[in-house]
Amino acid sequence: MADRMPMVIGVGLTPFASNREDCNVRDLAVEAVLDCVRDAGIENLDAVQHGLTSYESDHFNRQMTLGAILHDTLGLNPTPNVRVEGGGATGALALRTAWAYVKSGLCDSILVYGCETNGKSIASQTANQLFALSADVDWEMMVGGTYTAFYAAMMRVHMEQYGTKREQFAHVAVRNRRNAAANPFAQRPMDISIDDVLNSRPIAEPYTLLDCSLLSDGAAALLLATEEWAKQHSSRFAERPPVAFTATGCGTDTMRLGDRYPHLTNFAGKRAAAQQAYRSAGITNPLEQIDVAELYDSYSGVEIQAVEDLGFVPEGQGGPAVADGMFDHDGALPVNTSGGLLGRGAPVGATGIAQAIEVVQQLWGEVTPERQVHHARRGLTDTHAGIGTICVVNIFERQD
Amino acid sequence: MSESRVTSLVERKNIESKWVVEGDPWEAFRQIEVITLELTQSYRHSLGKYSRFFLELENGRFLGTSCPTCHKVFAPPRPLCPDCLSITAWQELPGTGTVQTFSIMHFPSLVNDDVRRLETPVTLAYVLLDGGSTLFPHVLKAAPESIHIGMRVRVAYAAAPVQHPIHLMYFVPLEE
Repeated sequence: MADRMPMVIGVGLTPFASNREDCNVRDLAVEAVLDCVRDAGIENLDAVQHGLTSYESDHFNRQMTLGAILHDTLGLNPTPNVRVEGGGATGALALRTAWAYVKSGLCDSILVYGCETNGKSIASQTANQLFALSADVDWEMMVGGTYTAFYAAMMRVHMEQYGTKREQFAHVAVRNRRNAAANPFAQRPMDISIDDVLNSRPIAEPYTLLDCSLLSDGAAALLLATEEWAKQHSSRFAERPPVAFTATGCGTDTMRLGDRYPHLTNFAGKRAAAQQAYRSAGITNPLEQIDVAELYDSYSGVEIQAVEDLGFVPEGQGGPAVADGMFDHDGALPVNTSGGLLGRGAPVGATGIAQAIEVVQQLWGEVTPERQVHHARRGLTDTHAGIGTICVVNIFERQD
Repeated sequence: MSESRVTSLVERKNIESKWVVEGDPWEAFRQIEVITLELTQSYRHSLGKYSRFFLELENGRFLGTSCPTCHKVFAPPRPLCPDCLSITAWQELPGTGTVQTFSIMHFPSLVNDDVRRLETPVTLAYVLLDGGSTLFPHVLKAAPESIHIGMRVRVAYAAAPVQHPIHLMYFVPLEE
């Protein structure tokens, strides 16, 4: 095995929900970490050499320096800790950071835990305003702009330029919510039709309510370590197929959509992130060489843009490919088997970690039988902030 | 519920352990109290090196900035050219332009009185100003069904007082 390759030792997750009023944000992190400890086959956190807290927003969580508080709550002091933030990409950027910490030899094991309370403890109108704070405040937020509108404006150009249709992105909204029905931890499984999506109320045209992802409370945790550490401390490591976090890529793009003119249809940062990750993992034909993927479906059409930018299909062909079922559970490359952000939910700091957990559990063969992808050996996560402003692509592979 | 001395109290209740799939180790922690927590801030918010754009809007002039090295024209303005790191120069633009994309927002961010006063739905238009290199995002006041990519528009200047100076302007259809 490659030198100091970070292995996934254990994972933990809370159910994602619209209102976990039995918990505050610390309680959620505790729940996910205890689940991770159990899953990793370690007795406690004493041998863990580093902590990494993943959360986006002091406003949503009503707490600054949440990293220090969670680290303390989990009894990790005086172990070192770092907090990572990267908007919507926070969880994936956290894992990428942890990858580098293990690879570099800074530590042999690192507990990555992420959480957010984006659910009903805050009115959805206020939530939209808080998310708009992560746009360019004086130029985009103050004119009344919303992220839904920024994404919708991109999709409108995609439709105009490539002939992409609302029915094609509605397919994503239907399929991911259907996938969520096979995931007991998903927030909002739904059995809906394309027409239901097209006829739901418009939010920012062309996007309707059912094209939009969820606001969630939840937490996720993942323990990364070297193989040597795992053999010494994890009673479960030898029990299941070894899964390594083999490659990570990151790319960025302008904050404001208008500054990308004339390239408005796609995510250049995502393309850059994917190319880096593929180069590092030796992937030359991603559609063939990746078996399962969790894509960042913050809006239904974003998955169409993603399958293009990740190189699964050429730019402009995402709409027909998605509508033909290429990315359904029985398609060439099943994506968002968890339900994605549309069906499973999206507590921001946990989202990227939860995507990785779905992929890793697919590789371990540990998800519910209905959503298990057979013979999956390599999986990908795609996560981004803003309108593709920070993009992270992480790759996990079985090593047996 | 008995009377409480907690003025922000929303509710007290026992939560069913519906979140725990098997067993409930938290049985003794299911009594919860929900309160209203209010956090509000206001800032003395400087518009910094972008200020002149807003000052000139009040004079009915629309400014971008141009890069002396690579000649790109930024609207919204950028004091620093991100392509070559040159310090830019202010440049007046005629304020006419073309819609490159847009979205009709049924739920705009109600962040200030200016947005709250707008009639919904509100169109967010991305306009390539004549002489500019980037798209300027702002409200386009036009009948939603008339709006399309390629539509010619111009900057209009607000007559009434505004809360945020970005609302000293908006876009309207250009009558040519």
